[in-house]
Amino acid sequence: MTKITSFAVWIVVAVVGAFAFASLALGRGESVNAAWLVTAALAIYFIAYRFYSRYIAERVLQLDDSRPTPAVRHNDGMDYVPTNKWVLYGHHFAAIAGAGPLVGPVLAAQMGYLPGMLWILVGVVVAGAVQDFIVLFASVRRDGKSLGEMIKIELGPVPGSLALVGVLAIMIIILAVLSLVVVKALTASPWGLFTIAATIPIALIMGVYMRVLRPGRVGEASAIGVVLLLAALVFGQTVANDPVWGPGFTLTGPKLAWALIIYGAIASSLPVWLMLAPRDYLSTFLKIGTVVALAIGIYVVAPPLAMPQTTRFIDGSGPVFAGTLFPFLFITIACGAVSGFHSLISSGTTPKMIERESHMRLIGFGGMLAESFVAIMALSAACVLDPGIYFVMNAPAAVIGTTATNAAQVISGWGFTITPDMITQTAKDIGENTILSRAGGAPTLAVGMAQILAQALGGKTMEALWYHFAILFEALFILTAVDAGTRVGRFMIQDMLGHVYRPLGNTDFLPANFLATGLCVALWGYFLYQGVVDPLGGINTLWQLFGVGNQMLAGIALILCSSVLIKMKRERYVWVTLVPTAWLLVTTLTAGIEKIFHSDPRIGFLALASKFSQAAVQGTVLAPAKSIAEMQRVAFNNYLDAAVCGVFVVLVLAMCVFAIKICLQALRQARPTAIEIPPPAGAQGVPA
Amino acid sequence: MKTSADPGLSAGPLEAAEVHPCGQTRRARLAAALHAARRAYLHMFGIPDYERYLVHMTCAHPGEPLLSRREFCARAIDRKYSRSGPRCC
Repeated sequence: MTKITSFAVWIVVAVVGAFAFASLALGRGESVNAAWLVTAALAIYFIAYRFYSRYIAERVLQLDDSRPTPAVRHNDGMDYVPTNKWVLYGHHFAAIAGAGPLVGPVLAAQMGYLPGMLWILVGVVVAGAVQDFIVLFASVRRDGKSLGEMIKIELGPVPGSLALVGVLAIMIIILAVLSLVVVKALTASPWGLFTIAATIPIALIMGVYMRVLRPGRVGEASAIGVVLLLAALVFGQTVANDPVWGPGFTLTGPKLAWALIIYGAIASSLPVWLMLAPRDYLSTFLKIGTVVALAIGIYVVAPPLAMPQTTRFIDGSGPVFAGTLFPFLFITIACGAVSGFHSLISSGTTPKMIERESHMRLIGFGGMLAESFVAIMALSAACVLDPGIYFVMNAPAAVIGTTATNAAQVISGWGFTITPDMITQTAKDIGENTILSRAGGAPTLAVGMAQILAQALGGKTMEALWYHFAILFEALFILTAVDAGTRVGRFMIQDMLGHVYRPLGNTDFLPANFLATGLCVALWGYFLYQGVVDPLGGINTLWQLFGVGNQMLAGIALILCSSVLIKMKRERYVWVTLVPTAWLLVTTLTAGIEKIFHSDPRIGFLALASKFSQAAVQGTVLAPAKSIAEMQRVAFNNYLDAAVCGVFVVLVLAMCVFAIKICLQALRQARPTAIEIPPPAGAQGVPA
Repeated sequence: MKTSADPGLSAGPLEAAEVHPCGQTRRARLAAALHAARRAYLHMFGIPDYERYLVHMTCAHPGEPLLSRREFCARAIDRKYSRSGPRCC
């Protein structure tokens, strides 16, 4: 492309972006179209990719295509495979995008669409994409090493072990909160539960097909799987209306929690080919298909945003989660803006498949932009909904009661007019008995998606089917994550136990495997169960704990990136990682400390715990608890949550101290001290 | 170490298409495009690619024993998932 054409193209992108933003900013008092929100986001992504990621690639990291990547050096046709950059882009995107970018923005929509949108866009450009890109770069230069190993090499063994403890703690919380999202979506929903339950035998059939009947024919097995899945989806309605099977698939929250705990224990003990692999293929197909369909749907239907730009809940009084915009917006939306978890994937499979260093710009930076786009679409889908319906679905029963009449009255009192009829009609449209207090983001997003997709295809009669399709799509990859996460957690626990008593670390020793699996499931199962029985909805507590943990991990990853840049003697560029590190530390440390010590029991764990334990001592039962024993349990759980939150805060502070020490040493050195695989002898640096 | 004469080390569909000399028939071009698309699909979804493995082995390690399709796919899937990293939220 000639310089002039390129210049013209970027002018057009900039003008379209500016126009989209103007539409959003000036559309006060009248509803703005969701297509503008999506267009504004796309313009930001293109401009950030073209200019900022190029700056990072050329100046900061100085990517060098003459240095062989791990994939080229170890090419074994199996694990280390140099892969075409667009193909790897898709692969990496499928690995990083999960339920996170779908849930956070939906919860944050209680403050209006503007705060969430701005944080997603600024966050991804300044922090999220930078983190993914530079962690990927560091891993490729270190032979595809994982985040923990890199911290050990560059910062020392103690920070390395600390990081591993942090990662395990975040894993446990993430598994609990994702399971909680599934429980909230499937409670008293026979159609949904039947469809999800059907994925288990379908995965088993696929697993046997691609291992035993037609070895390696994953494509054929997946085609069979997709057909069976769609059949189960349609048939689910019949099951739900059946007088015998319908009630059989109508389960309460605690029962579903137990079912998930048992499922997690069994699924993660099965051979990977039997259930995990087929389910993962199925969910990847569905994930990419649905994301594309939603993007097209938003442009075809072009629905207006019903949620206001900002609501009065930025003052911290919101029913979905408590706490003011700063700092709680920034931990509620993690994935989509910046996600610490990505640092584990960017230092996992992806670095082993990078063909050339210059490809990392597209895969690391560009991959995160795509995830951010998913978050923007989730935010749009939630804000397309009538705000009244949004609050009906997301406010806990302790606030809005358990009847449509009561809920309508409370929510109309907040200024979001809604009638009981609208609530029951929405439930009927989506084929459910109730939509009250279905917190967790997934059901809200599913209703939003169903309304958009039904307008594009099928009309009102298809809405129930689209709703259950959306639930299936989310639950499917959450269940995959529960299975895979429990396995990873098991390995990490075995690794740690092995240091205490050697035979426990042996992964071929069956009793040790069972012990570690049991421990892992018990840990996340405990948090899940407490979340399910929590009268305040559980999401309010667990999602924020996850947000603090995830953002702390991002902070740790960015601390590593900053240290690596300083050790490479690129300190003049270190602001690229220091600015997001500083912002993440400020927001998450504030949020973490407020979650522990805030005097408002709606926010502070300790305040709530002491309120309940003091009342229990005096013998008074506080609503929503029903007995003294329940009160003591609420108190204990809040002390526990405060302790977990405290661990995250201490971890990240400790990591800061270690990193500052290392960086000061590196600054005094005249030569680079970063420990990279050296470039091949005689190679001239070829700017990528 | 990577040369265009050694298709075993070139991975992507773009390179695969480049291997074919210019002036090929329309049918050959179509076949190459289909082949590239299939490969892109396999790699994007992380599905084991046995054909690629065969090419790799014959080019890079000629004479060494080959895994059967069944063994290769079983091993690739087990390796991918049994120590797979965490999945994102």
